[in-house]
Formats: sequence, C-alpha cells, structure tokens
Amino acid sequence: MEQDAQLVQQCLQGDGSAWEELVRRHSRRIFNICYRFTGNRTEAEDLSQDVFLRVYRTLGSYRSAHGGFATWMTSVTRNLLIDHYRRTKRDRSTDSLDDAMPAVESKESTGRRPDEQALLSELSAQVQVALTHLSPELREAVILRDLQQLEYSEIQAVLAVPEGTVKSRINRGRIELARILQQMGVRPS
Amino acid sequence: MNWTCEQTEFRLTDYLDGLLAAEEQHAFDVHVNSCARCTPLVRDVTQTVSRLHLLPELAAPPRLVYNILDATLGPRETVTGWAAVLGFLRGIASPRFAYGSLSVAATFLMLVTASGFNWKKPRLADLSPTSIYRNTNRQVHLVYARGTKYVSDLRVVYEIQSRLRQDNELPTGNESTVPEAAPQKQPGSTDGTSPATPRQQNRANDSHSHLEVLAEELPFLSGKLSLVSSGKLGIAMSGKLIFPVSGKL
Repeated sequence: MEQDAQLVQQCLQGDGSAWEELVRRHSRRIFNICYRFTGNRTEAEDLSQDVFLRVYRTLGSYRSAHGGFATWMTSVTRNLLIDHYRRTKRDRSTDSLDDAMPAVESKESTGRRPDEQALLSELSAQVQVALTHLSPELREAVILRDLQQLEYSEIQAVLAVPEGTVKSRINRGRIELARILQQMGVRPS
Repeated sequence: MNWTCEQTEFRLTDYLDGLLAAEEQHAFDVHVNSCARCTPLVRDVTQTVSRLHLLPELAAPPRLVYNILDATLGPRETVTGWAAVLGFLRGIASPRFAYGSLSVAATFLMLVTASGFNWKKPRLADLSPTSIYRNTNRQVHLVYARGTKYVSDLRVVYEIQSRLRQDNELPTGNESTVPEAAPQKQPGSTDGTSPATPRQQNRANDSHSHLEVLAEELPFLSGKLSLVSSGKLGIAMSGKLIFPVSGKL
C-alpha cells in the first residue's frame, strides 16, 4: 500500500516507469473485476483500459489519507462499470438465461485432473452467466466480497454506502445467485 | 429463542461469516434443520459461495499493459533501419538462443544424414519422400544387422569365457583323459615336412594365426589357446578341446 502511494508520488513527478509499475501491479485485478461484471473479455479489456486512462488523468486527486490506492482504483472501476451498464442497458434487454454460455475460461494450469478441470470450467462458465443476470448493485457487491475478497469496510468505501447496506446487498446477491443457478439447472453437487 | 424464515434469510451472511452469537447460532441451526424452506436455501447459498470462491483469477491479455501504456505515456519510440537490425541481432545473441539453434541444426543434420542424403554429391532427388523412406529403411536394416552381429560376437566371447571357467573348475583327475600332445609339436600345427596336402597345411597355419589374434584381443585367454592336433580344429586348454571350430586339419 505504501509502495503504491510512493509510486503515485513518483508518477506525479513525471516518472513514466513508476506509472508502468502501477499498471503492471493492478491490471490483472482490474481486468478480473471488469470481466466478472460484464462477462465479456473484449469489453473487460476495453473497460480496463478506460479505467487506467481515467486514473492517469485524475491521479492528482488521489489522497492516501483517504484510503489505499487499490480501494480508490476499485472505486473508479466501479463507477465506470455502472456507467457502462447504463449505456448498454438497452442492448441487453433481450438477454435471457437461455443465451449461449460464454467460452470456457482459459486460465493457468491448476494441477487438477483433466476431467476435474473440464467440470470446473463448465461450472465457472455457468456461475459467470448467473452473475451477469444479477442486478448491477447486487453483482458488484458479490464480486467485491466473494471474488475480490475485500473487507466490508473496503466495500463500503468503494460503493460509498453504509456497512449495513453492503451486508444486505451481499446477502441478497448470494441468495439471488443461488436461485438463478437453480433455474439454470445447476444442481447441488 | 424463536427463529423465523425471514431471520434466516436476513442473517445468512452473518451465519456464513461466523458472526452469529452462540444463542443465535443454536436457534438458527434448530430452525434450519426443521424448516423445509430454509434447509435448501442455506444449502444452495452455501454452495453458491463455495462456487464463487472456486472461480479462477484470469490472466489479463498480454497486450493490455502495452495498450494502456501507449494510451497514457504515448507510443514507444520505434527503431527502424540498421538500428532495428542491430537490435534484433542483440536480442538473439544470447547463449540460450545459440544453444537452441545449435541443437536444432544438429538434429536436422543427423536426420538428413540418416535418411541417406549424400553431402558430397547433393541431389534434390535424395530429398524426395520416396528416397528418404527407402534410404531410412535401408539404414534401419543395416543398423539392425550390425547390432545382431555384435550381439552374436558377444555370445561367442561369453561362451568361450564360460567354458574356460568350467574347465578351470574341473577336478584334476580328468586330466588323464586328455590326449597328450606330442612333445616336439605344438598342438594344432604341423611340422611342415609332410603335410597331407598343401591346403591343409595352410588352413592349420591360418587357424594358428587367428588364435594368436584372439589371444591378443582377449588377454585373459593368453596361454590357454591352442589347436588340438587330434584332427579337430578348435580352441583347447591344457590339451583339451573346449571350443570346436568347424573344419578339420
């Protein structure tokens, strides 16, 4: 965290390598948040790029006293994702649970057996589809808590809502997600 | 403490996070175990959270970082002309690349040579699939034949060794059955004065010289090899024929 703040200071002094280091440190996390929110790799890539562009332009407004750089960046990401959701809402109005499943997620080797790996990939794809059918406010809460493993206080800072609301959204998001998975025919193992 | 279905739903996250007080936890468990609506709810949500935790963290596309850097810091300077060539050569002038290239080149040379390509008189026809197949087939058979011959030779040597060992282990009483060689003659040789025929004389001399070569090749046999003079050609030790060779004197 302190290292991030130091890198930000170096960036503000015009150090390009410090900015490159910041990009390398956070690009994977930001890409994953965007991908889990949109369910589309291309959109996630474009959105990640937009996030870093906005962060670069507004880097001067970051104050380390108000929280960690990662939390601030996640907050910027969340705002962009919500904007993107509102912009593209009309295009998605015809989406349904019967839509084609996304391509099987490519990932690094986990040392699992091929059959386990295939099952896990299929399950991941189903969970990803279910996630994109959650309302955006529940989706972002679940992603930040269960995928990004953020503390309630950090989620509260990112979403700018009281902790009770955060808990309530996470709770409702999980229940809704379980219901969607059941509708999709994903049975308990 | 009474617990309701609404409470179960509302406090589910606290339950999963282990934040319920002991009394609440007990009431929660009692209710869920007896409620047909809450049992599947808790089971499904617990499993959904486990599935979320199993979702892998994906790797970002490799070009993402460069696209971001290009969009923020501006495109990197591109090198052209001789500087680009030098940069490329500098990039490949690493031991790792050199070893890799050498091993690939050596493998290629070995494969081409093994397929029968004549480097002294290179012909394009030698590289046709039919020629490569024919030559490779020939090479494989040659290697197989050489291998078989080598194994066969080894068997002969081992046979000689084992017979010598057997003979060394024989009791001395058997020596009496071995025919004594004439004192003035070396076993297996003729005196050269009255050979039956010149051809027999030559064969005996050839066999003697072959045994001398064998004794040189196999030092452990030194002093133990000789020709038996009882009309049979072979390897003898202490006058006893231990390894007959086809042909007669």
